[in-house]
Amino acid sequence: MNKKRYIPIFGIAIIIMIAAVCIYMNLLSQTVAGNLMSSVDEISRHDVESIEGALDNSYARLESVAKRMAVYDVETIQEAQEQMNLEAASSALFNAIYLLDSEGYLYSSSYVRFDPDEHAYDEMMADGRDHFVMLYDDANGKLETTKESLIYGIRLSNMAIGEHDFVALLGRGDLSLIRDQLLIESFDSQGISSVVNNQGYYIVSASPATDLAGRNNFYDMLRAGTIEGGVTLEDVRRNITEGESFTINCTTADGEHLVLSFAPVEGTTWSFIMAVPVHVFNQRFAPFIVMTTVMLVVVTIALLVMMALIYRFMKRSVLANAEAAARAEFLSNMSHEIRTPLNGIIGINHLMAGSLDNREAMKGYVQKLGKAAQYLLSLVNDILDVSKLRAGKVELAQEPFDLNGVIDNVCEMQREAIRERDIIFEVHTGGVRYPHLVGDEVRLSQILMNILSNAVKFTPEGGIITLNADQRLLSTTHEVHTTISISDTGCGMTKEFQQHIFDVFTQERNSSSDSQKGTGLGMAISNMLATQMGGSLTVESELGKGSCFTLRVKLPLANASSVVPTSESSVGPALEGDTPAALLPDVQGKAAEGDTDKAQASLNEASEGARPSEEAKAQSLHILVAEDNELNSDIISAILSNEGYEVKIAVDGKEAVAAFAASEPGEFMAVLMDAQMPVMDGYEAAKKIRELDREDAKSVRIFACTASTFAEDRQRALENGMDDFLAKPLDVPDMLKKLEAVKRGL
Amino acid sequence: MAPDSWVRRAVLLSLACILALSTLVGCSAASNGSEEQLHLLIKVPRTGHDVVFDDSITQVDQVIEKMADAFEESYEKVPVDVEVEVFEQNQYDAAIAEAFDTVHSPDIVYGDYFNMSTYIHTGRVVPLDDVITDDIRSDVFDYLWDMSTIDGRVYMMPYLARQNILAYNKELFTQAGLERFIQEGTIQSWTKDEWAEILDTLAEKLPESCYPMMMYAASSQGDTHIMTLLRSSGSRFFDDDGHFALSTPEGIEALRWIQEGVDRGWFPPHSENLEIEDCSSLFRQGQLAIYMVNNASIGRYGDTIGLVNFPGPDEDGCATTFVSGFEVLDNGDPIRVQVAKDFLSFVYGEEDLLDYSAGTLPASIPVSERYGKDIQAFDLFLNNRENVVDFTGSNPDTRAVREIFYTCIHELLLGNLSPEETAARIDALCNQAIDEGEAASTLHE
Repeated sequence: MNKKRYIPIFGIAIIIMIAAVCIYMNLLSQTVAGNLMSSVDEISRHDVESIEGALDNSYARLESVAKRMAVYDVETIQEAQEQMNLEAASSALFNAIYLLDSEGYLYSSSYVRFDPDEHAYDEMMADGRDHFVMLYDDANGKLETTKESLIYGIRLSNMAIGEHDFVALLGRGDLSLIRDQLLIESFDSQGISSVVNNQGYYIVSASPATDLAGRNNFYDMLRAGTIEGGVTLEDVRRNITEGESFTINCTTADGEHLVLSFAPVEGTTWSFIMAVPVHVFNQRFAPFIVMTTVMLVVVTIALLVMMALIYRFMKRSVLANAEAAARAEFLSNMSHEIRTPLNGIIGINHLMAGSLDNREAMKGYVQKLGKAAQYLLSLVNDILDVSKLRAGKVELAQEPFDLNGVIDNVCEMQREAIRERDIIFEVHTGGVRYPHLVGDEVRLSQILMNILSNAVKFTPEGGIITLNADQRLLSTTHEVHTTISISDTGCGMTKEFQQHIFDVFTQERNSSSDSQKGTGLGMAISNMLATQMGGSLTVESELGKGSCFTLRVKLPLANASSVVPTSESSVGPALEGDTPAALLPDVQGKAAEGDTDKAQASLNEASEGARPSEEAKAQSLHILVAEDNELNSDIISAILSNEGYEVKIAVDGKEAVAAFAASEPGEFMAVLMDAQMPVMDGYEAAKKIRELDREDAKSVRIFACTASTFAEDRQRALENGMDDFLAKPLDVPDMLKKLEAVKRGL
Repeated sequence: MAPDSWVRRAVLLSLACILALSTLVGCSAASNGSEEQLHLLIKVPRTGHDVVFDDSITQVDQVIEKMADAFEESYEKVPVDVEVEVFEQNQYDAAIAEAFDTVHSPDIVYGDYFNMSTYIHTGRVVPLDDVITDDIRSDVFDYLWDMSTIDGRVYMMPYLARQNILAYNKELFTQAGLERFIQEGTIQSWTKDEWAEILDTLAEKLPESCYPMMMYAASSQGDTHIMTLLRSSGSRFFDDDGHFALSTPEGIEALRWIQEGVDRGWFPPHSENLEIEDCSSLFRQGQLAIYMVNNASIGRYGDTIGLVNFPGPDEDGCATTFVSGFEVLDNGDPIRVQVAKDFLSFVYGEEDLLDYSAGTLPASIPVSERYGKDIQAFDLFLNNRENVVDFTGSNPDTRAVREIFYTCIHELLLGNLSPEETAARIDALCNQAIDEGEAASTLHE
């Protein structure tokens, strides 16, 4: 699976998720801010109502004073001032009370008289309202105080004293007296309310001045800081003057970010301001962020876990399907590959049946039959190799060996084929400075043989094959890193095929029919063996120019004295059983390539070489054959009879034991014991024979003959008293050679 | 890439980020290793102030700011940041006493000794004798040292003083036919008979809505001037122990003089309901003939007023003086106390900074000598210092006494208490406050 392909998809998914989270957070933020602003508005309305209520209360008190003044029996201004003095003294709200006459004179409860040109408090009435209030400002006329005060006023309609007509009654009270009523904290004391007049002076604030000299101005605060959103100070001033409700964001000179909500106070030029630090909004928003984040994290984790599980399940499913497909393909290939030579064998058999009298034709059929049989055998061996390698049941030997010897032997076995095709073969082993290594010599040879035989197979006549071997000692581990590359000038491979070169049953289809005669398992086996050795097998190839296979293995350095010279017998496939190919390396090498003609020739030669001598034929040699399969027993019997042996057949183990027990001592020189038989299997039979109380029971050579060629089968045979192992299908020359050796007493 | 590889990379990336952040934080923390700046807080009541050579100065806190800036620049023992905080005149307790043991507790307070003497008895105010070198001591008028000394130890460094006397409206005096009492270029003093004649004449002849003399008892503000009037018949006001001693013939006579003045029309009607600011407005509006002034406030009236001492025990009459200066408070940090003292040593060693007291009566003799000629009526008030009387009596709890005193005068003006009863009540309640103050008094070691 190409995982890189999923990275953009994953990235896009993450981006979409982040975008969704951002949009969600933004909407959530707006909702929370909207709710908070609603709270601010609600608090503002409540506070404004409180302020308006406090003002109404003040007006009502002034109304009461006016009513009492009307009923007092006063005839002069001085008497009226004395009454006002007493009213102010008894008032908890007013420090002083003033009467304003129609000419603009202002008379106070402390007997002070302000001429019209000394004050401007009559302007409070200019808008025609009956009730009015203003922040005391000595710019309008310096009254009897320097304290921050409010001037309340009510319009009088019918009050005359002497020649004076009074138009308004004013009351002056310390701002501090009502500040506590008006100052309302909210949002855990973080939201501060204040009231300013249209000039920006605070009526109510969190840090009030008590004296005119110390008063602060709201506009100064805004001027010192910054207003956000393009709103100007003039905009704020105009909105307050016009009695607008509005909201601004600003940053004070101290760097505090505030949200300011303005609401007009009815009947005044004041504006109620609720100042809420932005961090309050953030604090209110924080729990939502935390909850959302936690929720998203949990959901994301859950999704990831689910995705991981699904991925794992899918991966397993894909692998299982792939394995199933591979198995099916393998079986299909195997079936095809097996059926192909079988088809040949059956066909030839049919032809042979019709040509019994034609010796020449029969000779040709026999040769073809041998080729088909040999190919079938090599195919079975390779399949077994693949199967065992896949199952991890191949155990590599760890024995000292000579790498130069291995290379020489492998090369030697391909010499003839190379020579026949006029291929230039160059071997460069100068880099082999540490030839004595510890490892599995046979398997290493098998790999090299596969590579080299392929090179020979795919290199045209007159081509070049080059073998390079190089080594590097890893001083820290005393291991030798060996690199052996075999390059050819053959047909090369496509890029696509290179990716599958090490898959089983892989052959590139091209016009060279010769090249398709292998089983398609050799490179897969080589690659698996290299991997099991802890090394690697790689290929570089260019179509039409050739290929280069490189084997890299890291093997321990061996003591030179412990290395046994490499023999030819060590070269070839190394199944635990002594397969025919194992005993015929040159044959195996060629067979693996599909060169069955040459393999058959070799087989014939080997068979000739193993035939018993005339001297041996003269003796009567009895061999007990335990074989339940009648055909097999007939074949063995025929082969052995032809070689001059006397054969006694037993159809199961029990009969074999009985036959041996009934024989004369020394009558049988050997026993060929099938492993799997009815009544009593070969293992038990061998054991019983060894247990017989007779002299030759211990010495007679018992050969296990079985199609079970795994190491455990071989081990089981030895444990039950058998001496050697002959794998089925029988390698006839090998069998004869071993029997000849028995006969010779070797 | 296998999922476990992604996780491993994410973990490694997170660890790298954490490591990077840790490194940054570590670097940041390491960079904060420099010496920490010492913060010094000076609190100043909002007080108008004029300086003869600098028209930009209108408030005394501006002067203190100049001192703070100069000290920050020159102080080398530790990096110091001096903050000047202004509070309202009626917020002394909130700014000082209520701030004890908080981060807002001042290290230095500038203010009137009259208002700040109470804090000396809390044990928080540090004696400054180790700050006062011989040069500093000799540079400041002795009578100002006396006013800020308790048990022989100086608790406040005098910076300036204001002398309070009475002033009369020449126009109203003229209207009442009292031209003969009008004198220019002097601080007059009238006998008690002359006072009675003047006040009776004013009560009789002033036009409607004009009144002879200030009187108020609606609050404690300005009560020291009423206290000073109680010396009009020769009362010493305090006994030798600093306790009120009005229950004497002289004291009772002075109280009776005031009470009878109500009936004789000397004061505005229902003056018990008036405050000093009401009388100030009446005087400013030309509706009050006699009112108190000090050397700093006379400028606003120009030559429309004449100056006269309070009626006193002798023919020279009497005056009072408010001395303003610096107190150092101990907030438990010896280093801050020492730096605060160093601040005072610095200020009193800098001629330029002392010069900023040249608007009223400078505490510094050299400053008085340099700028006296430029300060309005400076010589008049300087020469009048012989008539200054003490109105505190080393009272350890001035505020408690003030909250009692005006209520007694209020009752006297209303006629609810006789002069004798008033004297007895003042002596009893005010002395009780003094005794309680002394009992609770703790002077700084």
